[in-house]
Amino acid sequence: MVRVLLKFSKDITSKPITSQVIMEQEVLMNILTARIDQQGGEILIEIPSVHAEKVMEAFRKRGVVVEPHKPVVIDKENCINCGACFSLCPVNAIKINEDFSVAFNDEKCLGSACQLCVDACPVRAIKVNE
Amino acid sequence: MKKLVEEKGTKRAFKEADVVTTGTFGAMCSSGAVINLGHSDPPIKIHRAWINDVEVSHPGAAVDLYIGAAQMSETRPFEYGGGHVIEDLIRGKEVELRAIAYGTACYPRTKLETVITKDDLNQFILLNFRNCSQRYVCATNSSDEILYTYMGKLLPRFGNATFSGAGELNPLMNDSDYETIGIGTRIFLGGTQGYVVGEGTQHDPGNLMGTIMVRGDCKKMNPEFIRGAAFTKYGTTLYVGIGIPIPILNEGLVKKVAIRDEDILVPIVDYGVPRRERPKLGKVSYKELKSGKIVIRDKTVKVSPLSSLGKAKKIAETLKSWIEEGIFYLSAPVERLPLNTVFKPMKQSENIVFVETLMRPAVTCREDEEMEDVAKKIITHSVNHVVVVDAQGKLKGIVTSWDITRAVAENRKSLADIIVRKVITAAPDEPVEAAARKMTQHNISALPVINRERKVLGIIASEDVAKLVGGR
Repeated sequence: MVRVLLKFSKDITSKPITSQVIMEQEVLMNILTARIDQQGGEILIEIPSVHAEKVMEAFRKRGVVVEPHKPVVIDKENCINCGACFSLCPVNAIKINEDFSVAFNDEKCLGSACQLCVDACPVRAIKVNE
Repeated sequence: MKKLVEEKGTKRAFKEADVVTTGTFGAMCSSGAVINLGHSDPPIKIHRAWINDVEVSHPGAAVDLYIGAAQMSETRPFEYGGGHVIEDLIRGKEVELRAIAYGTACYPRTKLETVITKDDLNQFILLNFRNCSQRYVCATNSSDEILYTYMGKLLPRFGNATFSGAGELNPLMNDSDYETIGIGTRIFLGGTQGYVVGEGTQHDPGNLMGTIMVRGDCKKMNPEFIRGAAFTKYGTTLYVGIGIPIPILNEGLVKKVAIRDEDILVPIVDYGVPRRERPKLGKVSYKELKSGKIVIRDKTVKVSPLSSLGKAKKIAETLKSWIEEGIFYLSAPVERLPLNTVFKPMKQSENIVFVETLMRPAVTCREDEEMEDVAKKIITHSVNHVVVVDAQGKLKGIVTSWDITRAVAENRKSLADIIVRKVITAAPDEPVEAAARKMTQHNISALPVINRERKVLGIIASEDVAKLVGGR
């Protein structure tokens, strides 16, 4: 599976683009997060790797900006392993180990589409790579 | 030690152990450092001063300053503050000092700007007036919005919970009647040796909420155990590492240090209610809190520690190795921490006003009404907000005169299309100040007042609040 971030500008929000791509490509997509209104927004989707290229192309053709998914990055040097981030993660990508160190799983992380943990870090050790 | 007592009993444990070390590493806002700059030429009696744009208060004579951990930078508020200044100085970084003064015959200088490091200071002493809280509550949030608090980020509708403190590792918890802790107790503080000065502010032994006041030499501290920090939309603070050795003088102390996380209970407190007495939703033990999940109202909720439990353990281990290596000597307190102080609430000489007393009856409509009729209501009642309710009088949305104006301009006819359904509300027993804050935050001018069943009781508008403030 591949995770892709779709960015919609406000000019194209009135069109049913996601539905069109699903019907045209006949590919099942899993929408992980969607934050979108008339002013534009982002949708994070998960698609089977084999179809990724053509699906991304179909979105691009319709004016959607397609970006690879970027998980958040934890600066381990800076992290004090307090765990403030742990309870905010909606997909359990952050774990507290037996020795109370904080472990992070980038494969589960929703990254720039979520960012719930980012501003909860008291030492600002969590960043989104834009 | 805790295991030793469980496995072999008090008597054997008393024979085998001499000292138990403890530790905690958490955000302690009531912290700061006293610095002495030495005299400038010509000399200055500082009136106000800033280090890296953080105001450092001036409690005494000419060049003594106090860097308060929670004081925020004037140029980077909520991100950089006194706690960071202390950390930067400990790290050996250069900081910018600015000061102003009114000028006197003995201190003629009125302005000063200089760059300093810790080596330039005569004294750089950590002096924290409330640290090491024995235990602390577990925080959660029943409201509909994300709350940013000193207990971290709390998601809406019990989306998560947070707790602070080290539980069974906390120094005061291991000697809960302070038999060995008091004025002059030598401790681990920020990576070096420090001392207990006495009880901390708000020291509340009766509720197992004891605190200590501590001092230590910042010049010898290690930034691994003392860190500036920022809680989004709350402010800045200082993470302080503290460890206290408990000498096992008798079997009674063996029993005290054997305390386990499951024995230490704290209330779950709803920070969604902006009052001093916030609702308590039950009790949890530190064992449950450290498991990462607790149950609130039959819902399993993830819970974050805010203190670093790993670092607390490291502090206890470091202190143990110092004692074993003979570089740290235990000291007996000159006077024990008091057991009889209480933590009183503030005396307030003015009454707080609640939403209930200021709200007005709401002008309401139903979802299926014609837009013209709603417009007429706005005119006849001379209001800006019409609250949309269902047959039971429960809140369904809100329509403002602006929404109607826009609908007319955009040639939209249906009321249902323009109703704002995500409504920010107030509760009748909420202080007016909290309601006013919500309006400012969301840039809106009125809040429907609803009860727990979401029934509309009235409306409070910014002009009502303005009248209250103006009338004073």
